[in-house]
Amino acid sequence: MKREVKVGLFIVCTAVIICLALLYLANEKGFFAGNYIFTLSSQSGDGFTEGMPVEFSGFTIGKVQKLELNDKGLVLIKIKIPQKHLKWIKIDSTFTLYRPLIGAARIIVTTDNLKSAALPEDKIPEVQIVNDINDSIEKVQPLLDKTTQIAENLEQVSSKIDVMAGKADMHVFGSEGTVPQVNKILKDVNGKLERLNPTIDNVNKISTEASEGLKDIGILRSNVDDTLNAVEDVAKGVDSIISTKKEPEIKLP
Amino acid sequence: MSLLENIGSAVIKLIKSFTDIINFAWKILIRIFNRNTYTSAMRTVLIDQIYFTSVQILPIFLITSIAFGSLLIGVLFLQLKQLGLTQYFGHVLMGLIVTEFSPFVTVLLITLRSGSAINTEIAVMKVNKEMSALEAFRIDVINYLMVPRVINGVISIVLLSTLFSVVLLGSGILFSGLIFGMSIDAYSNVLLNSANFSDIVIALLKSVVFGFFIILIPVRFGLQASHELTSIPIVVSRGMVNVFAAILTIEVLSLIIKLF
Repeated sequence: MKREVKVGLFIVCTAVIICLALLYLANEKGFFAGNYIFTLSSQSGDGFTEGMPVEFSGFTIGKVQKLELNDKGLVLIKIKIPQKHLKWIKIDSTFTLYRPLIGAARIIVTTDNLKSAALPEDKIPEVQIVNDINDSIEKVQPLLDKTTQIAENLEQVSSKIDVMAGKADMHVFGSEGTVPQVNKILKDVNGKLERLNPTIDNVNKISTEASEGLKDIGILRSNVDDTLNAVEDVAKGVDSIISTKKEPEIKLP
Repeated sequence: MSLLENIGSAVIKLIKSFTDIINFAWKILIRIFNRNTYTSAMRTVLIDQIYFTSVQILPIFLITSIAFGSLLIGVLFLQLKQLGLTQYFGHVLMGLIVTEFSPFVTVLLITLRSGSAINTEIAVMKVNKEMSALEAFRIDVINYLMVPRVINGVISIVLLSTLFSVVLLGSGILFSGLIFGMSIDAYSNVLLNSANFSDIVIALLKSVVFGFFIILIPVRFGLQASHELTSIPIVVSRGMVNVFAAILTIEVLSLIIKLF
């Protein structure tokens, strides 16, 4: 295949893919389809924005085209619905502005009977408003009340505890309280301990002297030991003299 | 004082380089919209360039797109499922993958393959004095060499990034069925609800701008080569750095435009 043909084929094929994709998208988005404009009303324009999606069973079937305020002070919401989604809009359809807690607000169409007659373009149904934020606040309100009550009770308990703490403070730290009494006792004990100091010194002195006396007794004992050893030697000498004689009797002079 | 001098000199260089590129871009743009530019020689070069840049790499590009795209879509869908963000997968697919990721990956692939090649080609031609030879034969160098390459960049990036998107959306059908148990009808409905016409137009325009600059900048830096062979790697590396800076700048600008 020639180079030119390959390049031409590539460009044509890819360009066709792009064009088909864009055409399909445009067609599905309703660029080529006829659109119908319906008018809805609301007491307040709060929450409505131009371009807001209109949904049926979770699918986007149109969008808010324009918001107007009429002479009676009513907000008129013009919604644009492509022809292919016209079958979902019936005379008994209800329109609800749904404002979720998280995510964008949208108009939800609910049709109970799909066999009903189509909604005439000149009829102006009123939009009901479901506000998740307000609903959540209403649900949370009793909890908030209870929390406030608990807070008040806690405050009362805390004030009682405060009074009790004052009394306890007086009992513990007051002039006749526990802490001053303990301080007084401690001072007395301290004075007595100071008075005991000379006695303890004397006891120490006596103990030192006794220790020195015990040293003298040791020396004395060693002297006595020496003397006893000497006497024992003399006794042994006498004993040996006596054992060598035939007559063990000694005639004294 | 020398630090201040260095900063000042760097800023002046940057501004000069930027204005040079804008002037050059303007010159090329004028030629693109001039009917006389499209001579038979120029058209032959253009076809050759498109062939080298897009057609020749098509099999590799498609295989890479399928492999990379499937992997990305699979990981992304699994993460969305694990995080409980299944309802946002349409927005992620259209807003992130199709309008942001596809042009970006395509541009990176084409820059790495063709941008560097064109930068080197022009630099070598300059060193070998082929430009002077062409001028001696009174051949308009801009019309003959530069305009076809830049137009090729625009066409290639737009077409290849569209193909990349198609492949990714095809992978999406497979993975939405496997991971979310979604039918093709439900999948296409989610995509249609998430598709924003203006986002797609911005993505196409971004591809055009990408294609224009990722070829224009290497061409411009290739022309800065001197008559020495050693200047070739210098201008090629400078050109590629500037191309990546341009890609990031265009990405940021497109994000800013989307915000408004």
